[in-house]
Amino acid sequence: MTAAAQLATTTDSLGLTVDLALAGLTVGSAAALSGIGLVVCHRATGVLNIAQGAQAMAVAYLLRDLVVVRHWPVWPAVACCLLLVAPALGVLLDVLVYRPLQRRGAGPAETMVAGLGVFVLLIGVAVLLWGAAPLAGAPSPLGGAAIRLPGGHGLRPDTVAQLAAILLLGLTVFAATRWTRFGLRLRAVVDDRRLAALTGVDADRVSAAGWAFGTFTAGLVGIALAPYLLLDPYGLPLLVMETMAVAVAARLRSIPVAVATGLGLGIAQAELTRLRPSGQLLPLVEAVQSNLFVVALLATALLAGPRIGGEGAGEGAGAAPLAVRRTGDERAGGGGAGGSGRLAGAVCLVLLLLPLGFRGNDLRSALLVPALALVLLSIVVVTGYGGQISLGQAGYAGLGALGTALLMSGRVPGVPSLPAAPALLIAVLATAPLGLLTGWPAIRRRGLALALVTFAVGTAMSRFVFQQPYATTGLVLDRPSFLAGDRAFYLAELLLLGLGLLTVRALHRGRLGRALTAMRDHEPGAVAAGVDVPGLKLLAFVAGAALAALGGGLIGLAGRAFDPAAFDPVRGLLWFAAVVVAGADSALAAVLAAALLIGLDAGTVAGVSAVAVGALAAAIGRLPGGLAALPVPRRRPPPALPALPPSRLSPTGRRVRAAIATRQAGRVRKTGEDGAS
Amino acid sequence: MNNSHDRPAARLTARGVVRRYGGIEAVGGVDLVARPGRITALVGPNGAGKSTLFDCLAGTVRPDAGRVLLGGRDVTGLPAHRRVRLGLARTFQQIAVFPTLSVADNVRVGAEQRTGRAGRTGPAGRAEARDVAERTVEALRLFGLQGLAAEPAGAQPTGVLRLVELARALAGGPRVLLLDEPAAGLDAAQTARLVSVLRGLAERGMALLLVEHDAELVAELADTVYAMAAGRMVAAGPTATVLADPRVTRAWGAVG
Amino acid sequence: MPVEAALRSARVRYGPLEALHGVDLAFPSAAVTVLLGRNGAGRTSALHALAGVVPLSGGQALWRGRDLGGLSVHQRVRRGLALVPAERGVFGSLTVAENLGLGGPGHDEVIELFPELAPLLPRRAGTLSGGQQQLVAVGRALAACPALLLLDEPERGLAPAVAARLHAHLLAAATDGRTVVLAAQSLPRTLAGAAVVHVLHRGEVAFSGEPGEPLPKRFATPR
Repeated sequence: MTAAAQLATTTDSLGLTVDLALAGLTVGSAAALSGIGLVVCHRATGVLNIAQGAQAMAVAYLLRDLVVVRHWPVWPAVACCLLLVAPALGVLLDVLVYRPLQRRGAGPAETMVAGLGVFVLLIGVAVLLWGAAPLAGAPSPLGGAAIRLPGGHGLRPDTVAQLAAILLLGLTVFAATRWTRFGLRLRAVVDDRRLAALTGVDADRVSAAGWAFGTFTAGLVGIALAPYLLLDPYGLPLLVMETMAVAVAARLRSIPVAVATGLGLGIAQAELTRLRPSGQLLPLVEAVQSNLFVVALLATALLAGPRIGGEGAGEGAGAAPLAVRRTGDERAGGGGAGGSGRLAGAVCLVLLLLPLGFRGNDLRSALLVPALALVLLSIVVVTGYGGQISLGQAGYAGLGALGTALLMSGRVPGVPSLPAAPALLIAVLATAPLGLLTGWPAIRRRGLALALVTFAVGTAMSRFVFQQPYATTGLVLDRPSFLAGDRAFYLAELLLLGLGLLTVRALHRGRLGRALTAMRDHEPGAVAAGVDVPGLKLLAFVAGAALAALGGGLIGLAGRAFDPAAFDPVRGLLWFAAVVVAGADSALAAVLAAALLIGLDAGTVAGVSAVAVGALAAAIGRLPGGLAALPVPRRRPPPALPALPPSRLSPTGRRVRAAIATRQAGRVRKTGEDGAS
Repeated sequence: MNNSHDRPAARLTARGVVRRYGGIEAVGGVDLVARPGRITALVGPNGAGKSTLFDCLAGTVRPDAGRVLLGGRDVTGLPAHRRVRLGLARTFQQIAVFPTLSVADNVRVGAEQRTGRAGRTGPAGRAEARDVAERTVEALRLFGLQGLAAEPAGAQPTGVLRLVELARALAGGPRVLLLDEPAAGLDAAQTARLVSVLRGLAERGMALLLVEHDAELVAELADTVYAMAAGRMVAAGPTATVLADPRVTRAWGAVG
Repeated sequence: MPVEAALRSARVRYGPLEALHGVDLAFPSAAVTVLLGRNGAGRTSALHALAGVVPLSGGQALWRGRDLGGLSVHQRVRRGLALVPAERGVFGSLTVAENLGLGGPGHDEVIELFPELAPLLPRRAGTLSGGQQQLVAVGRALAACPALLLLDEPERGLAPAVAARLHAHLLAAATDGRTVVLAAQSLPRTLAGAAVVHVLHRGEVAFSGEPGEPLPKRFATPR
């Protein structure tokens, strides 16, 4: 090779590197914007905007609607979306959802559930308004010919605009916090919320501004990313959620770190396309290349340790992750189940037997109810009984379905094609130990940190296992001949659901049930009582994985196909929210939730169930304990106050007492009976 | 309590326990003994290292050096829940109860976790179930909680919660009881009742170690006092001697 | 004696622990009240209940005869209440000047009272010593010119001479019509001019009276 040719290759290679880096900046700058939004919002409000992806999706849909359907000019539409609708949405969410939680002193876990509720609600609204089918033609305000740079490199104008937006937002935030009165208040709130209130700062207004800003940047990210993909209610939110890695890497504190991580990951993702290893590694490398943000989310969530963004500082050591209030009926166990428990059981039974009279499509939809109920039961075990947040149960359900399909198709090396029943059984048994994937991180994590890790694990399963060519083509998932009829299969499902309910009940009663409840109610207290907490957590996650895999396998068999979209991580969020809304520690409520999720969508319009679940979850501030806690009377009145022991009063002391008493008496007279205590 | 199925008395010993946080010695090589039948108090100002030492004894924190012995057995490497099963119980300053369980079930958890075994069947299982039921009832009776047994623990006032937590600890048949500011949140009358309960436990041969802020309670209750300051033991001995020690009064402020 | 603020059958509960078991406390107008008690006696809870930092689980907090129940912390502060917490009383990431500025307009008077703060104005409060931070926290509250000033062990970390200056200022402020409540472990000699002393013990009122009256021994002025 001549020196000249070598030089040419080198410049070529350098040129390619630059080209790829510039291309990577498109996604990278969007991720950086997302990071700025999350960090600023978290610093101002103390809450991680977990619904950011859904907000981005909603704004992107709205812009497309205004421009493509209503034929608005692009720029006024963009201005309306970003400057009007997005901030207004943010303030609305603050006032309706987050402020009541703050008032009540709710913990991070409940706040996260409310955030998930907002997420699910926005997705439901999008499905209702615009349907679930992917839409093309999201407007790209700055699309057009690439700008030529010296050296023949091209740079998209929208990338330039995004980079400019990063710079502008960064400088604005910096200047506003440094040199304005509001900025001083903001810094005071960021430094110490309680003390800020003590100096007369209205932290609510700072929070409202934080939510407005967070939703505004979310909209910006949505509009920036939408032109690159087909717009559908699940894809864009998930993509934006993956960019949460950027904010987590910045520990939800540092804007420069978030920007650098975002740009760096974007460029790295583009450069990875140059790696073309031969053979079996290729699919893996390709998967990593297209899902680098998922890998980053998993890595940052695991590395971030048990606490994220100073979360939990004010949380009592044993604060229950979710306000669960058990009814007296359930505590009495199955033997003496009283009024409302028996009623719920009867309603469940009727709902489950009803489909036996269905035919055709109705019956086919109903097949999903017992299967989904089993998946939801897995959340009841892990979150409701064990108190551990798990957003990754959809992943285990998918593994159950995929495992069954692979075993039935003879695609597992060394194993012949199996009939459905043994395949399902083996898939469940093989998935159960994988529960350790989320159970192990749960030993030292709680709240938000655990939520992020479990979500990342579920997303990684979806992206790296389910959405691969081997899983999406040529799999057989047929029902055995004696279950070919839908009614017969439904009966078999009911049988398995019954077994699942019995298992769950065994987990909730006796020594094991009490130990699980103790762990959920007060972890250090459970340790002090002698409970092997790490072992119990692993057990809960393993049992949860098995239940989810059973449900997932049945979902697959019901539809006679493995559909990766059925186990989408975003769907997992909907399921989690549904269980919490129904009352996380009630198995019957989970069955009801499954029936309603399927029934609402089948009986009305798709999206109704998501709207209902989302709205209820967002209202968790007003509904602690979920729907199952509703029939229970509120906390009983405190026992009568014992008489105060007579304190030693000097003459002055008596005068002071007398002064209060007169004052109080005057007040009571003025206000009538209301003031009497 | 019926002593027939309780373990023999045991002392708790700490030898040269060291615990560092980021290079700073929170506890710098301290020795301590809690003897059966005695009430031992660990006192000192905020940041003296009392809580860290307490956590090292209970097993929620691993010491960087030194040993913890329970009745002659080295338990330094055992996790907290294993120590509990060996008879080392503890209570929390911020009372640890399980609000959604009934008062009786709170106590029962302590009784049934006493052994690491679960789900045994046959005569052994039946004997164990009987043992658990007996211990639960005994602990409830000892603290006068029978009337509240079926009530949810979450709704109870502080004084009752303190007793529920103690009953749970006792149901596990401990030989050594670690108490973290046991009078926190109690009024004067409830504190007086607690004092007599704790004295009664010591008279039964249990070793009690309490970490306490309140000099008055220490003077009233403890036989032996260890005083810490800045991670070191500055004084140890009979209560009256230690509380009058100028090094202790200086570090702790006026006492009594 | 007119009452500026009062707690009536006030209960405060932190999770399972009840810190105040229904106390009646009155704080006379235009006077200094000292709230005595040891750690865990409920002093801090009483001040926090008045300021709204902790909610009452029973009873009432009254200010000028009005039930404070519906007012959040910052609303109470804007109506003229100020609380100097015993710990974490400064914004560590802000400068001393910014800390004082957040308090209110009385910045210059504070520097006049505590000239030792003048050279520290441009420094970050987090870099100061404990005593200096305490001074900043007190100064910020004074800068707000509050009608009802609550101080939780403000002398902690202060040199005796500075503490004496603060006490003298508080007594003078009281004669100007301000109401001051100060929590302490024992009665400082320089506050002998206080109007009322309340003693809390295990979350209950053990004594209410004048400082000249015989206090329980352990709360008396150290000799």
